[in-house]
Amino acid sequence: MARTLIVGAGQAGRRCAEALRDLDPEAEILLLGEEAHPPYDRPPLSKAVLLGTDPGNGLFVRSPQFYAEKRITLRTGTCVEALDLAAKQVVTTVGERIGYDSLVLATGARARPLPVPGADDPRVHLLRTLEDAQALRAALVAKPRLAVIGGGLIGLEVAASARQLGCAVVVLEAADRLMARCVPPAISEMSAALHRGHGVELHLGCALRRITPRAEGLLLEAGDLEVEADLAVIGIGGIANIALAEAAGLAVQDGILTDGCGRTSQPDVYAAGEVARFPHPFFGRTVRLEAWQVAQNQPAAVARAICGEARPYDEIPWHWTDQFDWNLQVFGTPEPEMELVQRPAEGGRLTALSVDAAGRARGALVLNNGREATPLRRLIAAGKALDLALLRDPTVPLRQFL
Amino acid sequence: MSEWHRVASEADLSLEAPLGVRVGDVQIAVVKLEDGIYAINDVCTHEFALLSEGFCEEGKLECPLHQACFDVRTGKVLNEPAEVDVATYPVKVENGAVFVQVP
Repeated sequence: MARTLIVGAGQAGRRCAEALRDLDPEAEILLLGEEAHPPYDRPPLSKAVLLGTDPGNGLFVRSPQFYAEKRITLRTGTCVEALDLAAKQVVTTVGERIGYDSLVLATGARARPLPVPGADDPRVHLLRTLEDAQALRAALVAKPRLAVIGGGLIGLEVAASARQLGCAVVVLEAADRLMARCVPPAISEMSAALHRGHGVELHLGCALRRITPRAEGLLLEAGDLEVEADLAVIGIGGIANIALAEAAGLAVQDGILTDGCGRTSQPDVYAAGEVARFPHPFFGRTVRLEAWQVAQNQPAAVARAICGEARPYDEIPWHWTDQFDWNLQVFGTPEPEMELVQRPAEGGRLTALSVDAAGRARGALVLNNGREATPLRRLIAAGKALDLALLRDPTVPLRQFL
Repeated sequence: MSEWHRVASEADLSLEAPLGVRVGDVQIAVVKLEDGIYAINDVCTHEFALLSEGFCEEGKLECPLHQACFDVRTGKVLNEPAEVDVATYPVKVENGAVFVQVP
């Protein structure tokens, strides 16, 4: 019986185990996780967990019995220290050696620290794990003055949650607009208006230089600004956890390099989820994607490859963010230099499409308008030139273009 | 006691265009498919969202927030992030009026 050993029991590790079980009833599946918990999905950490509205099952998608039923051996609190590829074994921090036939690295990413003086103060939080979220919530319920460093998705979700809990919130963003890596400027402006409208103090083009602990609170120096806060959260993106792979001699480059099926540079070693950097046909280059969608579905391609079926992962990229009363979803690559065709709908809803010079939709966004998500994905996938005059008319339904 | 509640007129419903209605505290999505009219609980079991604001096709209703899909005929969840099915309610049509039976 072939043993697949999955290192990393987050969403990607879980999904790989599940997909493998569906394909191969015989496989021995061992899922090792460093964290104390069974696999959980991270999107609620910056929202429902901070707000205290997570019913508990939102986070842990599967019950503890699920793993036993699926004959997936889950070992939490188990940290792998090294890979011994020659012996086809991994070595844990307590010196245990565990053998494999196939090895899947689903080691994910960690929150990117900010190398400024004072960032190691205990009142400066990062947000990545359930413990991080619980610690942050425990601090936020006292309604501190909060400084959020980073106006990307995580920073803005934390800002929105903290505002909803009654905190005074300042957001410091180094770039000149919000969510600059994932939405076009027009959407950044709407987002800024949303946050300011909810009382968030927003400072753009404002890079943090230093945090100075004071007897009461923290002094943050950013640009020409001095901000006093009781608590700070740094949300400036993630770093792929590639140390194990790199030390074992796998090809890495801001991620573990794989093909479209998650196969690394070494035989029988795969990478799953956001740690993998792989060629994506939609982008036409290699990408490493930090999104629920990739953790959810790329590991199925890995499971297929383990079973001998090479069918690459090629979904149109999709991610979402929920901030205040906004549900914003982004599809494809809405590049800032592309024309953004806005199609407002009733009730402040919006659909917007990024079209390239040939008139093809390459990216799209929906703001509280999820009904159009699937038609948009299909439009992007079809990749055909659209009649822009018609597209600019929001009364012409999207299905007319399909 | 289960009771029948008039929630719409048949003329209000077009194919695969969900209608969100409310009976007391219960929010219901009423959906006309080719083989009849169905009613399921309108609230996604993942996070709060009204399924009637989602995309409907081939008997599947997609949550507008995070794209979990539900089978309109059975209430079964078809894909993550949702894990739990939604309730279904009996539907009848009398004299052009659509009734839903709610416990």
